[in-house]
Amino acid sequence: MNMHGPQHPHDHPEDAPVPTVASLGLLACHHCGTVWAQAEEGDACGRCGTHLQRRKPDSLNRTWALLVAACLMYIPANLLPVMITRTLFGTQNDTILSGVIYFWVSGAYGLAAIVFVASFLVPLFKLTALMLLLITAQRRTDWRRPERARLYHIIEIIGRWSMLDVFVVSLLTGLVQIQGFAVITAGVGIAAFGAVVVLTMLASISFDPRLTWDDKPVAPAGDNEVEKKKTATA
Amino acid sequence: MREVSDTIACEGCDAVYQRAPLQPRDVARCPRCGSELERHAGNQRRRILPLTVASLIMFAIANLFPIVEIELQGLRSQTTLAGAVLALMAEGMSVVALLVLATTLLFPLLQLCILVWLLVPLARDRQAPGFAWLVRAMQSLRPWGMIEVFLLGVLVAIVKLSSMATVVAGPALYAFMALTVLLTSVLSFDPRGFWELVFQRQEGA
Amino acid sequence: MSEPTPPPPPAEPNAPPAPKVVRRRDWLPSLIWLIPIVAALVGVTLVARILMQRGPEIVLTFKTAEGLEAGKTAVKYKDVQIGIVQSLRLARDRSHVRVTVQLTKEADGFTASDTRYWVVRPRLDTSGISGLGTLLSGAYIGADAGTSEDSASEFTGLEVPPIVTRDASGQQYLLRAADIGSLDVGSPVYFRRIKVGQVAAYELDGDGRGVTLRVFVNAPYDKFVGVNTRFWHASGLDASITASGVKLRTQSLATILLGGIAFQAPEDAMGPVAKENTAYTLAEDESLAMKPPDGPSQSMLMYFNESLRGLTPGAAVDFRGVVIGEVKSIGVEFDRSEREFRMPVLVQIYPDRLRRRAGETEPESRYTQEQRLQFLIGKGLRAQLRNGNLLTGQMYVALDFFPKAPPVKVDVSKNPVELPTIQGSLEDLQTQVQEIAAKVNKIPFEELGKDMRVSLATLNKTLTGAEQLAKTLNNDVSPEITAALKDVRKTVDSANRTLSDDSPLQQDMRQTLQELTRAAGSVRVLTDYLERHPESLLRGKPDDKKK
Repeated sequence: MNMHGPQHPHDHPEDAPVPTVASLGLLACHHCGTVWAQAEEGDACGRCGTHLQRRKPDSLNRTWALLVAACLMYIPANLLPVMITRTLFGTQNDTILSGVIYFWVSGAYGLAAIVFVASFLVPLFKLTALMLLLITAQRRTDWRRPERARLYHIIEIIGRWSMLDVFVVSLLTGLVQIQGFAVITAGVGIAAFGAVVVLTMLASISFDPRLTWDDKPVAPAGDNEVEKKKTATA
Repeated sequence: MREVSDTIACEGCDAVYQRAPLQPRDVARCPRCGSELERHAGNQRRRILPLTVASLIMFAIANLFPIVEIELQGLRSQTTLAGAVLALMAEGMSVVALLVLATTLLFPLLQLCILVWLLVPLARDRQAPGFAWLVRAMQSLRPWGMIEVFLLGVLVAIVKLSSMATVVAGPALYAFMALTVLLTSVLSFDPRGFWELVFQRQEGA
Repeated sequence: MSEPTPPPPPAEPNAPPAPKVVRRRDWLPSLIWLIPIVAALVGVTLVARILMQRGPEIVLTFKTAEGLEAGKTAVKYKDVQIGIVQSLRLARDRSHVRVTVQLTKEADGFTASDTRYWVVRPRLDTSGISGLGTLLSGAYIGADAGTSEDSASEFTGLEVPPIVTRDASGQQYLLRAADIGSLDVGSPVYFRRIKVGQVAAYELDGDGRGVTLRVFVNAPYDKFVGVNTRFWHASGLDASITASGVKLRTQSLATILLGGIAFQAPEDAMGPVAKENTAYTLAEDESLAMKPPDGPSQSMLMYFNESLRGLTPGAAVDFRGVVIGEVKSIGVEFDRSEREFRMPVLVQIYPDRLRRRAGETEPESRYTQEQRLQFLIGKGLRAQLRNGNLLTGQMYVALDFFPKAPPVKVDVSKNPVELPTIQGSLEDLQTQVQEIAAKVNKIPFEELGKDMRVSLATLNKTLTGAEQLAKTLNNDVSPEITAALKDVRKTVDSANRTLSDDSPLQQDMRQTLQELTRAAGSVRVLTDYLERHPESLLRGKPDDKKK
């Protein structure tokens, strides 16, 4: 094995500069997990054939773009009605928040909480968290890195649960079609909301969490000489 | 290109670690960032095929039968998943309809089908055609199957409807519940495990 | 539980550190293939249950699919769902709609070939408004179970719901009528003014000479239909203006609008209960229905040489108040031999009517009909036109005995027999009027007029004199009268003054009255005293002793 860079353990193992794939000049296949030496970016993995890459391509830009789009869609998603209920007594337009209020007022506190968390808090949380991750990654600060890593995990896990309201509306639309008595139709807001969920999911997929741990931009694998020089002088 | 054996890279922070031998039910985590490195496949290999088959059957039931039936003033209405999608399309919300269809029907079904397609030959030590990109496809489809969210949505909708009409659960609802449980187990199977299987067999391990 | 093992120290100084290993909890049993087996069983059970509940599939054809929805519209019998519409398709030749219906298992009896299907929608017809519930719940397909042994898979749907379903209890009867009148399918049938049934169907007879109606009388009223029962049109207002006056009859308000049929047995002697599909004749009205059968009829001819205006075919032939026949036809003839016009009137007589009213039995008669007729004519039997109704001018033929009538020779063997006539009473009336006119003529109007003129002249003079008197009064007498009136007024004024409250006269009078009162008082005292001491008259008043 050819290793490059200082690997001496320190007194406190957790403070030791951990060997990273980039610093060692290696490439790890993001699909099958095999670590390759003397490989270049773009090479096909020997085991599974996927193209090797250091970081997710253009992660920051893509994530920013998707995030901004999601923020823009978040406004109509909450302002426009997501569900229109037509009964004998009249028409009722429901936005996400009014649905929550309806549940709360009719005593279904648990449901109100669920819908509020899933449809309002979670997207908001995702948007702010992604923004935070992006900004800190761009600045390459080492502020609270483990927490940021945990934040990313959380975003990945809870991302899909915002789709809850979309499914509720879809089911109600498909079910309550009793002409003359009660007819439920989906409003434009739900399309915007679905877009928000999809965009934030895409944003979190395109964000590379390894960027939070990068002190400096990662050079392509071929620049090992540069790395050697840098670390030698450090 | 040379393989660096017995090492594993952390996907969360790019750190490099030695691969420790794992016991059943062990999970290796990165000490720096806490993300999962690998887990022991355990009995999963034996379980996954029957569970996939069961999931497919449940999937069929869940989509062919009505999910719930409501009754209001003697008028009834019921719907299947496809029915709800069609209703959305009929109103012009085609994009949302497609989204719902994809996340609750298409992607989970594809994942299950790919699994079956890959596993059956594997049981006979053979690689199915298109193995590589199918496994990749399955991995990318992973986050987009949202059946458990759909189930929760159905429950919320039932509670909302029960205040204005009589709601009767249809067979598909129970099928969806069973499907959620099964899918959680089936889809926790790491695609990397596929490659392990393949290469272990290749290496004659 | 999870037991984190500490990361082992690196094997080599340059080797990468080892990761943290954590134990995960297992949660699935190993009998794993049980799960898909159970799943498969559940699926198969569900499918099998649905397939088993499926009954036969039938196709109904309707003119229109209005109100029907694939997958939603139900087929109901006695309000129980027995099937559901699967699909709607236009027939190839686009003349009707093919509705595929999936029946339930219990309903496979509904494939009998005489089962009837129809669509229940809100309807308005002669029997009222029906099917309003479908406005809210949507139309449904109604069914009427059939009893046939054969089964069919295609049925032609009825466009209107049948009036009578097979399960309705009651009986059907056939009525023959000359025309349909104001009746229609669904028109009510009344018995004693209660609706007991309705017209189920009607059709023109094959030879076009009449109409046959099928009426359905519901149980338990069908036991009131006997072999002797008569049926008649009870439509609308039964108004008849006949020689005997204006008659107005109606069964109920409904029949004015919808028309109807009524039935009853004459004198309630209905005989045995009629069987299903017994045929009856539908009479035009109640009296026609109820009248007993007429028996044989005989034609007679009569010649009148007066005006026949007011006599119409159908007018009654009456014998002393009993209607025994009717006028069949009227004509005009020119008798060449006598060179005058004659009006032959052909009448139809039912001698049985007379006999029945009289209550005679029918003994074997020694005489033939002709002989009897000859005898009667000899007795003075004549036909006469009489005025039945002064208002409408309707006439009728009356047969009566006129002993003073001139004898007539009648040939009773001719057919139709010619009956001698006598001039009508109207003629008499005319003569009378003429006499009155003559009398009026004789009144001396001229002389009356002259006398009147004289009187008028006298009156004129009187009036002139009166006028002059009035003038005199005005000019001469009135000023004096005015003066007199003035005096009177003066007198009245002074009298007023005298008599007024503060006039001296009044005051004097008041004083006088007071005196008088005092005087009266004294007199009273005196009389009292005298009463008590009558001797004082003689002795005088004693001195006031000590009291």
